[in-house]
Amino acid sequence: MSRPFPYAYISCPCADTPVPDPARKRRSKETSHKTNPEDPNVPVPEDYDFEDERTFDPRSPRSNFSLYPPEQLLYCEDCHQIKCPRCITEEIVCWFCPNCLFETPSSMVRSEGNRCARNCFNCPICTAPLAVTTLENVTGGGSQQGPWVLSCGYCMWTTLDIGVKFDKPTNIRTQLSKMTDSSRGRQMSKTFSDLKSPLSTYSSIDDQFPSPNEIRGDEASPINEQLSGPLNPEARFQALKGFYKSQIASTSSSPNDPLADFGAGFSSPGALNRIMSLYTSSSRLGSLYGGTSKKPKSKPPVMREALTASEGLRVPAPDAENALIRRMASDDCGWDGMASLEQRTFQSPDARFVEDLLPLPVLLRTKRSKRCKSCKHILVKPEFKPQSTRFRIRLIALSYIPLPTLKPLVPSPFAGLPSTTPTTAPNLDSLSPLRTVQFLLTLKNHMFDPVRVTLATPSVTPGRVASKVTILCPQFDIGANSDVWDEALQGSAAPGDARASRSGTLGSTEKVAEAGKVWDKGRNWTTVVLEVVPGSLPGGGGVTRRGRMKQHDDGSNDDDDNDDSDADSDANANALDWSGQTKDPNQRLQPDEDVLEIPVFVRMEWDSENQIDQEQSVGKGQNSDTVKRELAYWMVLGVGRISSEMGF
Amino acid sequence: MPPKVAKGEYIETDTGNKISRRSQIHGTQHIILGGKTVIQGEAVIRGDLYRTSTSSSASGDQTGQQPATATPSVAITIGRYSYISKQAVLRPPSRLHRGVHSFYPLKIGDHVFVGERAVVEAASVGNHVHVGKDAVIGSMAILKDFAYVLDGAVVAPGMVVPSWCVVGGAPARIVGEVGEGYGVEGAEGGMARERYRLVGR
Repeated sequence: MSRPFPYAYISCPCADTPVPDPARKRRSKETSHKTNPEDPNVPVPEDYDFEDERTFDPRSPRSNFSLYPPEQLLYCEDCHQIKCPRCITEEIVCWFCPNCLFETPSSMVRSEGNRCARNCFNCPICTAPLAVTTLENVTGGGSQQGPWVLSCGYCMWTTLDIGVKFDKPTNIRTQLSKMTDSSRGRQMSKTFSDLKSPLSTYSSIDDQFPSPNEIRGDEASPINEQLSGPLNPEARFQALKGFYKSQIASTSSSPNDPLADFGAGFSSPGALNRIMSLYTSSSRLGSLYGGTSKKPKSKPPVMREALTASEGLRVPAPDAENALIRRMASDDCGWDGMASLEQRTFQSPDARFVEDLLPLPVLLRTKRSKRCKSCKHILVKPEFKPQSTRFRIRLIALSYIPLPTLKPLVPSPFAGLPSTTPTTAPNLDSLSPLRTVQFLLTLKNHMFDPVRVTLATPSVTPGRVASKVTILCPQFDIGANSDVWDEALQGSAAPGDARASRSGTLGSTEKVAEAGKVWDKGRNWTTVVLEVVPGSLPGGGGVTRRGRMKQHDDGSNDDDDNDDSDADSDANANALDWSGQTKDPNQRLQPDEDVLEIPVFVRMEWDSENQIDQEQSVGKGQNSDTVKRELAYWMVLGVGRISSEMGF
Repeated sequence: MPPKVAKGEYIETDTGNKISRRSQIHGTQHIILGGKTVIQGEAVIRGDLYRTSTSSSASGDQTGQQPATATPSVAITIGRYSYISKQAVLRPPSRLHRGVHSFYPLKIGDHVFVGERAVVEAASVGNHVHVGKDAVIGSMAILKDFAYVLDGAVVAPGMVVPSWCVVGGAPARIVGEVGEGYGVEGAEGGMARERYRLVGR
């Protein structure tokens, strides 16, 4: 897993419920030709009941999509539900450049693209940010004049490598865009408005269609080439886009033409519907004759392709490819002179060599507000300014659900415990199998109401590596997150002690974990002990494991059952071998199968005060000042990695 | 059994800084610690690399007296509850300015974690910043509040990492964002007090 042990992930319940997204709605609309699509929320409860029966398996492929670190989760106060990044929608609050942290108005983003328009560039070689530096090292205090370049502090690339210098250190973006045209032998910088020849607006093909002779003349004559000039890629794209737009508009202009519909939504899925309606209407009305009689009259005009440079056509020189190959093969290019695929993805499609690479204006980033997908309430609303880290609204799950932290319990050597227990902190990256480890699970309440928590965990973890888990005190209360001073004023010595015991390193030395008792308790947190017997890995001899398991728990029926079910799940795991290493699934350990993850079902109950959500209680018709609430979810505790050695 | 760390490993100052005796701190008079900062063993803090181009005399006061001149001689400022792990190196950033190579102050905010063997030459590191182990923060880089540098990342010189952004790789790029709950006390990014408490016990 991505985090160091021990960690705690929380499963968003949305993984079990179908997400009511608009795409799904549309699909259901299309498949069932009904006017009212079925409400996607209807089947939810049934699914839920079904899912409730199961134990959450942290190793199932679906779990990947529902487990989140606690700080990434939000909480919707109206749905009373945890919200993960999949069950929210986002709205952009502002755009800003991550380098200069200046905001870009969204209108400018729309017109100019989402790149920084100032001096922020990324190195085309290594993507590190470029700095504006002067070429002249003026040692005195004189004003820094002279040419400026962009230089990379990481790979030492400068714009001098592509022969670009700047006259002033500001407005590099505009300087560069002017220069890229001129520096590549393009005499005039052209914007789209410049290139718009009056021809391109003509709607009729015949007006625009040049005779074949003309075309040939265009290509051949160098004078014409110079006049119209090859465009830079952006302008060419704009020209092509404008050209095809006009083509679509012109070909569908005649009102009788059934293809007229295409003009608006040529690329929209609605076009299909219109075609279908075309067929159905013609057959139903029986206007077959009418249709045929109309057809020769209004022959749909043919769309043509771009023919001139002003329309965006670019005819490469006849030997362009050969020249490229020759250049690649030449000694002064070599491998280092070629642009890598990764570098080329951000450049114009013609860039083949390192010399063709241009500095990349920094992509903008956004600040986003977040809404609940089902009830549309705002969950997160950051402040508008890009530099601010404050939020106007921030409903994070951590203010509602208890924050879980897991720590190994290290009994002190003086406690007179049996010699088998380790006296140092267990190495979580290699837990020895079949040796009991105790953990302290602390749940810290951030709500202003006391919470009653019930924890449940399968006594044997799902999967092939069956570890036994016992929560010594599965039901307990956590105090309210009241005034911090209450704790501080209770006594000067007490908090330090409490913290020490919570952290699990020291604390009261004689303390031994007892079943049914909480380990420790503070103002708004409670610690319970979790006893874990890591299972042995399949490669490390299953027979001994079986024997030992039997030894370990000599006999209650419950445990035997678990062992049996464990065997069943073993068989399942063998049948379903996803790793592709099918040689001997019994011997081979699948990736991360040795990671000991414990699914824990958390159910919390609390009486929420009416002041928090008054309208809710009124809606429920309750007259008491408190509303009983409950919330249940799965969480996964990543305890450690089981080593293959027994380690005795 | 591995021997326990000797009891006197950390020196605790009046303001609660816990400084390992095995750390290498140069130029202490140019370093300001905000209090409750942890500096672990073999960490290197180069307070001796302060700006010398001006004639202003270095102030010999450790407790944060800012000289009235335009160029303060403070080389490194570290806020509260920050944590400098083992073998981390803090160096003030430097730059060639008008032909003169000069150092600039390194400012580190509160609740900052600097991982093992990390090298920090940033111009400023905001609050609640996490610098992973083996990471390198290039000269004059700026890490804004709640920035998160992954282990082994190389933040290029002069790079700006915006708030809430996760950067990784060499050279570092923005690869994601931390959740909204990042930095909440006790959760990921809010463990600074807990970390401080555990030191030297």
